[in-house]
Amino acid sequence: MRKISLMLTITLLFGLEIFAQPSIDGQILKEESKDTLSLSQNDITSAAGDESSQSSSDKETVSDKEEIENLKGALDGLNESYLDTKSTVDALKKIKISGYIQAQFQSGEIDGTSAAGSGGDFSKNMHNRFAIRRGRLKASYDNDITQYVLQINVDEKGLGLKDAYASIKDPWIKTFGLTAGVFNRPFGFEVPYSSSDLESPERTRFNQTLFPGEEDMGAQLEITPQDGPLSCFNLKAGIFSGNGIAQETDNYKDFIGRLGFKFPFEEENLAIDGGVSTYLGAVRVEDGKSLYKLNSPTTFERDSLTRKSDRVYYGADLQLYYDLPVLGGFTIRGEYVSGKNPGSSSSNKPYTYAVGNSDVFLRNIACYYITYVQNIGLSNQFVIKYESYDPNTDVKGDDIKGASGSKLSSADIKFSTLGVGWNYFWDSNVKFTLFYDIVKNEKVNPSVTAASLTPYKDDLKDNVLTLRMQIKF
Amino acid sequence: MKKIFSVKKIFSAKKTILAVLFSALAFGFKSNETITVKGSDTMVILAQRWAEVYMSKHPNVTVQVTGGGSGVGISALINGSTDICNASRPMKTSEREKLKTRYNSLGVEIKAARDGLSLYTNQSNPVDELSLDQIKQIYTGKITNWKQVGGKDAKIILYGRENSSGTYVYFKDNVLLGQDYSPSMQSLPGTAAVVNAVSKDKSGIGFGGAAYAKGIKVIKVKKNSSSQAYAPTETNIKAGTYPITRFLYMYTKSRPSGAMKEYIDWILSSEGQAIVNKVGYFPVK
Repeated sequence: MRKISLMLTITLLFGLEIFAQPSIDGQILKEESKDTLSLSQNDITSAAGDESSQSSSDKETVSDKEEIENLKGALDGLNESYLDTKSTVDALKKIKISGYIQAQFQSGEIDGTSAAGSGGDFSKNMHNRFAIRRGRLKASYDNDITQYVLQINVDEKGLGLKDAYASIKDPWIKTFGLTAGVFNRPFGFEVPYSSSDLESPERTRFNQTLFPGEEDMGAQLEITPQDGPLSCFNLKAGIFSGNGIAQETDNYKDFIGRLGFKFPFEEENLAIDGGVSTYLGAVRVEDGKSLYKLNSPTTFERDSLTRKSDRVYYGADLQLYYDLPVLGGFTIRGEYVSGKNPGSSSSNKPYTYAVGNSDVFLRNIACYYITYVQNIGLSNQFVIKYESYDPNTDVKGDDIKGASGSKLSSADIKFSTLGVGWNYFWDSNVKFTLFYDIVKNEKVNPSVTAASLTPYKDDLKDNVLTLRMQIKF
Repeated sequence: MKKIFSVKKIFSAKKTILAVLFSALAFGFKSNETITVKGSDTMVILAQRWAEVYMSKHPNVTVQVTGGGSGVGISALINGSTDICNASRPMKTSEREKLKTRYNSLGVEIKAARDGLSLYTNQSNPVDELSLDQIKQIYTGKITNWKQVGGKDAKIILYGRENSSGTYVYFKDNVLLGQDYSPSMQSLPGTAAVVNAVSKDKSGIGFGGAAYAKGIKVIKVKKNSSSQAYAPTETNIKAGTYPITRFLYMYTKSRPSGAMKEYIDWILSSEGQAIVNKVGYFPVK
């Protein structure tokens, strides 16, 4: 708008100049012809001629002054108009609309490929598919002190809420902030990291499992010192319902927090960031249902009295950034999470997401990933990512024998994933991704006969190739 | 049965692919290099002068310079539409985060020149010096009349820059100490416009780079009411006595190489730094 206003100003002034010039010249010519005429009459003295010349010059000066005043008036008017437009534009600049679409093609190894970590299982009779993985539209209003954000996700499955929150920042030292609504859980690095910036098509399997959808409903305090020695640190901590983007189902509120640090070494073009996170929560065991804990090495034991189960995770994450001469920047990222995860008999997703009204199975978990991302020039990026997710650290694959008394199931099997990929940035809006996930699972005991476990006697054929195009604005 | 693939067709396809590859290589190794520079309006006159002199000595290199403001330049650097960003303020943490996300790099900061951020008044204004606190109170709207700072009984007319300007941000952070500008300040698109406005307005005050200070009066600045006031001269800036001294920066996404590195090295050489002086700013060394 500013440019348009300026162009209009210049155009108008230029136009005025063009139109003004002939009139001045015309006047001068007129004065000259008058002079010529008066001289040809030969009845005017030289002194009178001088007076006439003086008079002509005076008229010229007056005329120039008038033109300048006219121009000045026009310029002042335009300037006022520009300032008025600018104030409107400045107000509108606080409203931002952004979004992105991820359209992709995936190919699995066999029909019905299990792809829990790669965008969801394939349907029974297919091993390739097109999909809108994410279709986001975000509207925000930001006036430095307060912020409103509403984000929706649209794909072939329908329309859903993604973010809806209000934030307020202290106007004095701009260090403290309060956010309430539905927003990213402050745990680890990968959970709050934007899906559009993620170098792999999906987050790690364990983050998708423990924090489905990334967002949760609650209120969060943020402390980000702006100056001084503490400016390298930041804290985000809040109380959440623990159900993600869904209605609250119990009285237990979960505390989630991350204490982060950022150490930039600008001279070396090196940055070391990281943080420690904690999730201290609980789920309610429904009436008539039981809590199962692994008290003996390979068997879940039933506790029908306890009505509350822990949901506790501890995590640590580290990111290193460094710029390699000629080649470009790279990052190495790692994250480790352990804790107690309440799932169901057949799922290691947190209880409230799984079945709702079922027995609760509490498992000790341990998971980690390490990612290497190397930029090659300005448009290309190579990615390699390794992840290990052990949803039950107390049992090994061989311990899972399908015995009904043990209650061990496919939810206790460890997975590891090696992903290799390439990102190509067509421009600042468009990104193409080619990524291949090689997924390995623990093998269950060969004596297993249960239909739900026999596929795990061997490594599942669950590698997935993803081709994706993302457009972001 | 119709042949789908023939040997001739395959050879023809290979030739086409080779031709495309060679064309691409030829394009990649073209002899003419273009360096794009975008950002700070304060630095535009300096960057243009550098570019003119450098291109006259290196005809195979084209340096394209545009302004827009430091914020605009940094955004351009992040979205890949410029090679070098000029900024009259340091890059913000949030901007570095964006560079990290996209390029896994903090960006490379080059201190290219020094500037004494100058306070301009009309040549007829009798006020010669102001303290930092007085300037802060003037620009936050607490002092509104020249007689409150020893001048005539006239309303102070504030001129400043737009919020995409690095000078706007630097002045707000370092002189106003984070406080908001008075709503009555007229935001103008460029330091030249500020100087022009102040030169015509007897009650006006503006701020901007030292190199633009022509046809107006430059106010001496003192740290507090009891200290000595200094003008933004090279001596005072080098000695650190002028209170609003800043660096003028150049940023690249990652470590510069090739023609861009040669250009930046030249800017930092004695020849490049001599141009800094000629334009009206001050060398970094």
